[in-house]
Amino acid sequence: MTAIEFKRFSFAYRGKGNVLQDIELTVPQGNFTVISGPCGAGKTTLCMAINGLVPHYFGGSVAGEVQVAGCNTLKRKVSDLALQVGSVMEDYESQLVAMTAADEIAFGLENRGIAKPEIKIRTEQALSLVGLSGKESSEVGSLSGGQKQRLAIAAVLATEADILVLDEPASALDPEGAEELYALLHSLNREKGLTIVVVEHDLSRVLPYIDQLVIMDGGCIVKAGGLEETLSQIYSDGKFINYVPAIYQLKFSHEKMLASRLPDWRTEREALADLSRLLVLKQLEDPKSA
Amino acid sequence: MLNLENICFKYSNQTVAAQDISLTIAAGEFVAIAGRNGSGKTTLTKLIMSLLKPTSGSITFRGENTKKFSPADMARYVGYVFQNPDRQIFRDTVALEVAYGPEQLGFSPAKLTLAVEKALQVTGLEAVAGAYPRALSKGQKQKVAIASALAMEPEILILDEPTSGQDSQSGSGLMELLAGLNAGGCTVLLVTHNMELLAKYASRTIIMDQGTKAYDGSTRELFSQARDIAKWGLREPATTAISRALTEYGIQVTEDPRYLAKCLVDLIGGARHA
Repeated sequence: MTAIEFKRFSFAYRGKGNVLQDIELTVPQGNFTVISGPCGAGKTTLCMAINGLVPHYFGGSVAGEVQVAGCNTLKRKVSDLALQVGSVMEDYESQLVAMTAADEIAFGLENRGIAKPEIKIRTEQALSLVGLSGKESSEVGSLSGGQKQRLAIAAVLATEADILVLDEPASALDPEGAEELYALLHSLNREKGLTIVVVEHDLSRVLPYIDQLVIMDGGCIVKAGGLEETLSQIYSDGKFINYVPAIYQLKFSHEKMLASRLPDWRTEREALADLSRLLVLKQLEDPKSA
Repeated sequence: MLNLENICFKYSNQTVAAQDISLTIAAGEFVAIAGRNGSGKTTLTKLIMSLLKPTSGSITFRGENTKKFSPADMARYVGYVFQNPDRQIFRDTVALEVAYGPEQLGFSPAKLTLAVEKALQVTGLEAVAGAYPRALSKGQKQKVAIASALAMEPEILILDEPTSGQDSQSGSGLMELLAGLNAGGCTVLLVTHNMELLAKYASRTIIMDQGTKAYDGSTRELFSQARDIAKWGLREPATTAISRALTEYGIQVTEDPRYLAKCLVDLIGGARHA
């Protein structure tokens, strides 16, 4: 099953040139897709084309189409799409509208006509998932940047949408918070089968979880595919080498010097275990080198 | 140049955000401030800037106690760049935005023009001087915020997470800019979560943990010794962690993945990879 499909989709904001150009992209249901690339590449516009804000809210000219769960987004209202697509936008503060954390989460649920007792349960669950338990009555304005970002995520989780689109959801989080967030998204992805689309600049944070990696530049997709093949291509092209996480730079550079393959690593721990094994073998083979 | 002695600070809801902090910043240093969300990093910079006043303890700047200083007094010497540039940009063109600070400080028209030109030039914003700042990319808006601070000719520049939410190229560009300013004598205080940038650029690191100063020393020492920085919510850069774990095999600690790959190849040789 396909969750999201871009078919030769191009988009231009009013009076401007194309910010998305002939996008062809398929996100299967239950996939964890990560989008990266320089500022101005079109990543945010791509996210907004999934939840329908592009073109319904922003307006502009469209060619091709985007299908979400088999329906053309042009033919659906943003509010309809919101039942299936939960979004956390780049400027997360602008999507917070209520006075307290609990009210913020209830807002989306009330709009969906969900009963009060159910709202209470979902609010508690969602706050607990993002580590904000006990903050129900905290004023939104009194939360720190990282806490506000978590609240925006909790509000989306509570809607129980099947597809989550998150535009730089960890930009204000500390390293621990970012790890926890991505581990949470991973478990929602694997255990509940949610389809996840994330924009992230720091790929090392999401490495263990990526099914599909998309690199964008200048409104186009430079490369979309599995993690290893995509990283390997951008490493050899050189232009986006800064996006290749350190353990993959280490791996590719090692492989290049030796013209042979190392196993695929998703974590620092895996890389370390593998390299230690090679060093131990070398020592056993040639004790003098130790 | 800047001296904090036994600083404590409590917010009105009784949250203790700074507890008995003493430190000295010398002119020309490049200091990173790291720690978890809510550990007191921003509070510390706001205390330095006189945006907050300590509950007890004293702050001395250029030999004077800052107790009676307003943020505007401090702004003559200290440039402060907020995390989100959108929250501080309000004028119609980049040049006007950059001119706002020095206008408030009463620069003469000739001095003002010169200061703005120089700030735009250093930050590489000359080409967008007439542009509407809100329409720029986040990386450029961050540069506008930095140029606005530089135009006031500060001795210290404080930046709160300037690279968050930026792609790695704009992030590195920004850091190179800061390194250049620092080389020119400007003291830099940088709040950051990015350990790779911290390791590469800051010679000294201060780590905050629950309102206290948990570490204050050389960045190299922080990463080269087997310190448990995870307890402060920090993560070592991957290459540093891997190379450090392999020192028993004769590998040197390094931040550079390609250098580490070369050391590994020298040690392991080519035969072993099937």
